[in-house]
Amino acid sequence: MSVAAVDVVEGREEAPPVTRMGIAILSLAGFFIATYLLLHRLGVVGTLACGADGGCAVVQGSRWAVFLGVPVPAWGVAGYALLLGTALAGVQPGLAGDRRVAAALLALSAVAFLFSAYLTALEAFVIHAWCRWCLASAGVATAIFLLSLPEIRRLRRG
Amino acid sequence: MGRRNVAAASKRRGLRPFYIVLGLLAVIGVAAIGYAVVGRGAGGAALEPIPIEGADDPRTLVERAEGISVGDPSAPAKLLVFSDYQCPYCGQFAAQIAPLLKAEFVQSGALELVYYDFPLGGAHRYSFLASRAARCAGDQGKFWEYHDVLFGEQLRWSSSSRPPLDEFEAYAERIGLDRQAFATCLRSDRFADVVSANRLLGEQLGVTGTPTLILNGRRVMNWSNYAELKALIEREAGA
Repeated sequence: MSVAAVDVVEGREEAPPVTRMGIAILSLAGFFIATYLLLHRLGVVGTLACGADGGCAVVQGSRWAVFLGVPVPAWGVAGYALLLGTALAGVQPGLAGDRRVAAALLALSAVAFLFSAYLTALEAFVIHAWCRWCLASAGVATAIFLLSLPEIRRLRRG
Repeated sequence: MGRRNVAAASKRRGLRPFYIVLGLLAVIGVAAIGYAVVGRGAGGAALEPIPIEGADDPRTLVERAEGISVGDPSAPAKLLVFSDYQCPYCGQFAAQIAPLLKAEFVQSGALELVYYDFPLGGAHRYSFLASRAARCAGDQGKFWEYHDVLFGEQLRWSSSSRPPLDEFEAYAERIGLDRQAFATCLRSDRFADVVSANRLLGEQLGVTGTPTLILNGRRVMNWSNYAELKALIEREAGA
């Protein structure tokens, strides 16, 4: 019998964590932002809705817009998709207390947060231009990271 | 149904509002992306010169080519400037020499200055697009303002890894142009023929590099020396 099943039988199964629902919703929002930027990068979307200063185009057109040979928005699409999938798994009955889900969410959100902080620092100190969609994504990644902090408690408890 | 199944089913029902919110967000996201793709597509912005029919005939070429001038058309001195928006020396001419010429000779009616596109291509991969962009700005009566912005921002847009359509549109908005109208012009093949003809005309006139200045039919060799250029213009203008 699995750990989760034992929990249920003994009446100890946890309710789906609200924080994971929040992570899933934010990840989906981040996924769409990253997809929008990726489509622009690929030339499918001609103009970014980015205000008059053209900051998005400057940032997207800079050499920092590619990381390890892959366009940065593609990393975003993949990262948010992974987070979304993990969070969706984490809200399923029986997986609320699963340590693997907690560890994955914590690790993924920390990587996303640190990568976003790195990109934001580049905008501020190297590129000297602001891309509001990139900032929106950074905000989403930060919120996801904050929502993932309760996973530390789940890990310790496990 | 066992206790476990009842509990799980109950929890799944509790997830319904969450799935509804997620589904709504998905629908909104897909719709927004779809709108961005369909409504604001890349379009067919012409990035390179096009063939000009009859270009072998100089008369045809002169008809198709079109300089943009500032100053009195009947001025005694006429200075043709063949220029490339990605060329640093052209930027130097635009920033340092052209304002002096305008202030000293154009305003007094002694000189007509005529700008011709000569996009070099090659490493200057966006210069053709920039020439078209300036002419799109000219459609709204702000060719020279846009010309100055393009040279002023030359380093920024020249380093773009993709055609700087967004930058050009932002510059248009900055100088008060109707961005939508400008974008419609930019993301088409408008002015591709004129810019191509200008370049061919330059080639016919022996232009090989930029900027090339031709004063009353004679090439100016040392344009960066303003005192020399000034003396030449004064002589042509009979001052």
